[in-house]
Amino acid sequence: MNPVGDIYTGAANGLREVWSNKVRSLLSMSGIILGVAALVAMVGIVQGMLGNMRASFERSGGVLKLEVHPQEAPEWQQHIAGISPGMTWRDIGAIDKAIPLVAYVSPVVDMNWERFIANGQRRGALLQGVTPDYSGIKLNEIQHGRFISDYDVASKSPVIVVGAYIADALFPGQSRVIGEQVRVSGQVYTIVGQIQPIESVTSPAGRSSRFNREERYNYIPATTAMARYKGDDEVNRIEILAHDVGDMPDLIEQIENTLTQTHRGISDFEIRTQDEQLAELKKLENSFTYSLGGIAGISLLVGGIGIMNVMLASVSERIREIGVRKAIGARSHDIFIQFLAEAVVISVLGGLLGLVASVGLLSLARDFIPEGENISVMPVTAMFYGFLFSSLIGLASGVYPAMRASRLDPIDALRYE
Amino acid sequence: MIDPDLVFALRSIRRTYKVGSELVHALNGVDLTIEDREFIAVIGTSGSGKSTLMHTLGFMDSPTEGQMAFEGRDVSAISRGERSRLRATRIGFVFQSFNLLPKLTVLDNVLLPLVYGRQRVANKKELGMSVLERVGMDHRASHRPSQLSGGERQRVAIARSLINQPRLILADEPTGNLDTKNRGRIMELFASLMDEGITLALVTHDDEVAAYAKRRIRMQDGQIVEDSAL
Repeated sequence: MNPVGDIYTGAANGLREVWSNKVRSLLSMSGIILGVAALVAMVGIVQGMLGNMRASFERSGGVLKLEVHPQEAPEWQQHIAGISPGMTWRDIGAIDKAIPLVAYVSPVVDMNWERFIANGQRRGALLQGVTPDYSGIKLNEIQHGRFISDYDVASKSPVIVVGAYIADALFPGQSRVIGEQVRVSGQVYTIVGQIQPIESVTSPAGRSSRFNREERYNYIPATTAMARYKGDDEVNRIEILAHDVGDMPDLIEQIENTLTQTHRGISDFEIRTQDEQLAELKKLENSFTYSLGGIAGISLLVGGIGIMNVMLASVSERIREIGVRKAIGARSHDIFIQFLAEAVVISVLGGLLGLVASVGLLSLARDFIPEGENISVMPVTAMFYGFLFSSLIGLASGVYPAMRASRLDPIDALRYE
Repeated sequence: MIDPDLVFALRSIRRTYKVGSELVHALNGVDLTIEDREFIAVIGTSGSGKSTLMHTLGFMDSPTEGQMAFEGRDVSAISRGERSRLRATRIGFVFQSFNLLPKLTVLDNVLLPLVYGRQRVANKKELGMSVLERVGMDHRASHRPSQLSGGERQRVAIARSLINQPRLILADEPTGNLDTKNRGRIMELFASLMDEGITLALVTHDDEVAAYAKRRIRMQDGQIVEDSAL
């Protein structure tokens, strides 16, 4: 008894059998090939997409970020809600001074979708009023020039930091647009900064819609925005970045205390963390993993049934051969190993071909799917599991045919025509 | 006491099948001893039990009743795996329809019992070629069975049965599919094996073939009705 020798002989016989029935073997492998290719490619694509979402989440501050939004005062405070000044510029100063746990704090004064005009070109884009701290909260890299400065805020300067979209669209062919003038809804601004495009590599399919949207943000000093567009000192929200994720509970409490004071006891604000978004992201990941796993599992199962079918046909075709082998000394165990090895060889080869196909599919996906640059051509974990699963399926689907073969009576098998 | 020098000793062997509700006595009380270096022809009409006897001697079928010993060992005490091993190492089979595996070369067909016998052989290929030379087929070693004539295939099949240097070769109508010329050659080959210490038992219904043997056993209705030295 030599199990290693048995398996080696079995695999060699299996390979020979597969090779001598090339077309049939390829057809029986096709289920496994497609199953593995689909599994690995889908997982690779989804991982790439989720990677993009995570990157975008991190770019917007990640788990360290807090947002304070105005909300209606609770019902029991409704009758005195008027004494609160609302969310104003003063809240920024109060938070900045009173809470050392805050790394960055900036108001966001949201304008509507504004019309940007320069060089005879018009484009719609987003305009936000912020303070210098905002560059620490939302990780926009400055490509040329600078971000909004304290001086800009103090003097309500008519300056603007433009996103890649406006820089490209209004000044085509001009890589540096610092010092240029741009008119936004009737107001003229001097460009002092230019934000780096988010994707440094441009795919043939162009940049994705979401990144385009991120690149459509343009920033002016919050004070300029309030003076020019709002006429008062109200802000739309406050964005805060903590130093450390462990500080979050304390930080939330301190912000609440500080703002309750500046709002004269009225709870007309709401503090939001990014936890929910992170949880959503995780939920999305899980649902993708399970649904894709299910689909791929089913397709691999179908592939396994295909192999079982072919193996059963192969056993029926070779009843006489089985009889001969038994007559010259093969034990049932030898016949079992022989047929099982054949099924495993088919599924292992199918799995390998599937992996090769998945690399091809993922390369295509990289080129044709928007945001596809983050798709890995070789998602190693998915490849490992895809291959493992396909081999196990092959093993499982070979057991029954191999058992049928090994249980054949040699006399009956030899008489079989 | 069973003589260990005997190749086979059979006492009151019965083999009964149930076909539907009827009992068929394929072997109905067979007493037989096979000694070393015998050349036995088993003859009889179809249904006389000669094939069942061969299958029983080849451990592919087990008697329903009776005692059977191989080289002094009680066969009923030999496990299935051990019976397979004995087939691979001590007993050679030759069939009417040759039963070579079509996808293997002549040499690989001949070497196949070595795989199942699990014996350590220093140079399998050399051994295979020497056995093929013995039957005059070494020049066709790399051919497929489909490229050979019937007589050539049977010679390869005999080479396969010889590869493990068996004690006994069981041949079931080995010349049934051959023309007269090839029949003569194969029988001469068989006759020459006896000189090498191999015991031979062959089933035939051809009297000319049976004439090559030294002992003739005639079967009828599952019983031996004639056992004569020639």
